[in-house]
Amino acid sequence: MTDLTGGSPTPRQRPSWLSPNLWWLVIPAILFILLFFLIPVLSLFASSFDKAMPGQITFQGNFSWNNYERIFSRSLYYTAIWRSVWLGATVAGVCLVIGYPLAFIIARTFRAGTATLLTILVLSSMQLDMVIRLYGLMVLMGDKGLINTGLIALGITSEPLPLMYNEVGVIVGLVQVTLPFMVLSLIGSIRSINPALEEAARSLGSSRWHVMRTITWPLSLPGIYAGTLLVFALAISSYVVPALMGGWKVITLPIHIYQQIAEVGRWQFGAAVATLLFLTSLFAMALYVVALRRNAGGRV
Amino acid sequence: MDDINPIPFTFRIIAVVALMVLLVPVLIVVLAGLNSGEYLTFPPEGFSLRWIENFFTSPTFLPAFKLSFGLALATTIISTILGTLASIFLTRSTSKAREILRGLFFLPVVLPGVVLGLALYVFFIWSDVGLARSLAGLIIGHVLVTMPFVIATVTASLVDFDLSVEEAARSLGATPFQAFWKVTLPLITPGISAGSIFAFIVSFGQFELTLFLSTPDLQTLPLAIYSSLRYAFEPTAAAAGIFAICLVTVSTLISTRLSNLKKLLSRR
Repeated sequence: MTDLTGGSPTPRQRPSWLSPNLWWLVIPAILFILLFFLIPVLSLFASSFDKAMPGQITFQGNFSWNNYERIFSRSLYYTAIWRSVWLGATVAGVCLVIGYPLAFIIARTFRAGTATLLTILVLSSMQLDMVIRLYGLMVLMGDKGLINTGLIALGITSEPLPLMYNEVGVIVGLVQVTLPFMVLSLIGSIRSINPALEEAARSLGSSRWHVMRTITWPLSLPGIYAGTLLVFALAISSYVVPALMGGWKVITLPIHIYQQIAEVGRWQFGAAVATLLFLTSLFAMALYVVALRRNAGGRV
Repeated sequence: MDDINPIPFTFRIIAVVALMVLLVPVLIVVLAGLNSGEYLTFPPEGFSLRWIENFFTSPTFLPAFKLSFGLALATTIISTILGTLASIFLTRSTSKAREILRGLFFLPVVLPGVVLGLALYVFFIWSDVGLARSLAGLIIGHVLVTMPFVIATVTASLVDFDLSVEEAARSLGATPFQAFWKVTLPLITPGISAGSIFAFIVSFGQFELTLFLSTPDLQTLPLAIYSSLRYAFEPTAAAAGIFAICLVTVSTLISTRLSNLKKLLSRR
């Protein structure tokens, strides 16, 4: 990526600091990742092929497919897989629909101040502790929450609407948490579209919507793919949102992992569910990286 | 220009909805923390600092806030040092392994938090060197998920760095270390600071990893708020939330000042 010689015709002799012999700089980080990331994660995956022994946490070395057979032979678990995937896809769709206009405004506004302000709002809402934001949502959406008490006071409904502790609540919670990632993925890609293209089409008589549909949207597709996959991967791996907004009634894969381990002590089985969750989100992330590459390569 | 490419009206409406989805929950937390009643009703019952005062005497939330702060600070220091050194390697080495390493360093944020938390927990118990359910174990987990943010930010500021400045210092007789310490480092300091603030915020709000690694006497702020949401809605939690909101807003403002916002958003 960076050309160290700076493109000068006669390669200068590099000072030792700039020479490729810089490994000592990265060794601490590599050791850290190796010891505290690769080894733990790989041994977790290995233990998912170990014979199931409730309460037994150490590695026994009895190879077996039992844990995976169990996942796919009980409707409980593949329902959870489907629920996770379905929720992730819905959340990605909703985020795209409501995130695109905001990203478009940030990317296209002529007032630099507005763009900066909006970006800071999106960034800080992304960085704020999720649990705090969920507190706000729960106060808003509960049976005795602001929305329901308001609706009842206005006489619109007599019974509180079931907004929380069900899939609706989980979807709203996940959208709240992942929307900033969608918006940030889209901004870069919309910004890289040359506005002259849109202006040309407009001046030739196309309607605003026609321009949007035939020029802006197709050219921002790399950002759309990237944002959608990122949101999908984040949504299926979230534990705290389904736990709080679903109230243990919407059982997704991460909830299963926690329950199997914390409540039943089935370590190997929990590890198998974790492996499955990781593979699903890795697959989405791999597609995300491909989309990003295209995004960077397809700039006009 | 404005009439050639105006923003469609529908877009403005939906954008307002999106902003409300993002900001209303935060606003609610602030209102709940400053409301005088036990439950937030509409209209609010009245303004009171009662929950804020409660927060300062609370046996759960104040220690949790302090623990989160200290944990984030320790995490930030370690991951800034490791991440900055690694970034220098990633931008300057010509080694082929660079791309693989870059991918490796980003893996911990790709892995779902629950999976990483479980893996670390099991590993700490297996290895049996006292890391299980300890502060050190928590710090290790947090460093894993914050280092990618440091690397991303510092790498971005190093890529744009003009190496000839450092070479000039070298040719004037500075040792490699002097050249780096006195010339390069001050120039990339904004990038490093932005990266470390980023790391701090990520660690401060980290929940899913902490869930597996903490114990009842190692309650971070997100965990304390989480358990109060499961069992009882305490407005004191909202008051604690207000302080976290201030902390995060200020940090975001500083870090966007330090790092070029446009550069982060437009991909190269």
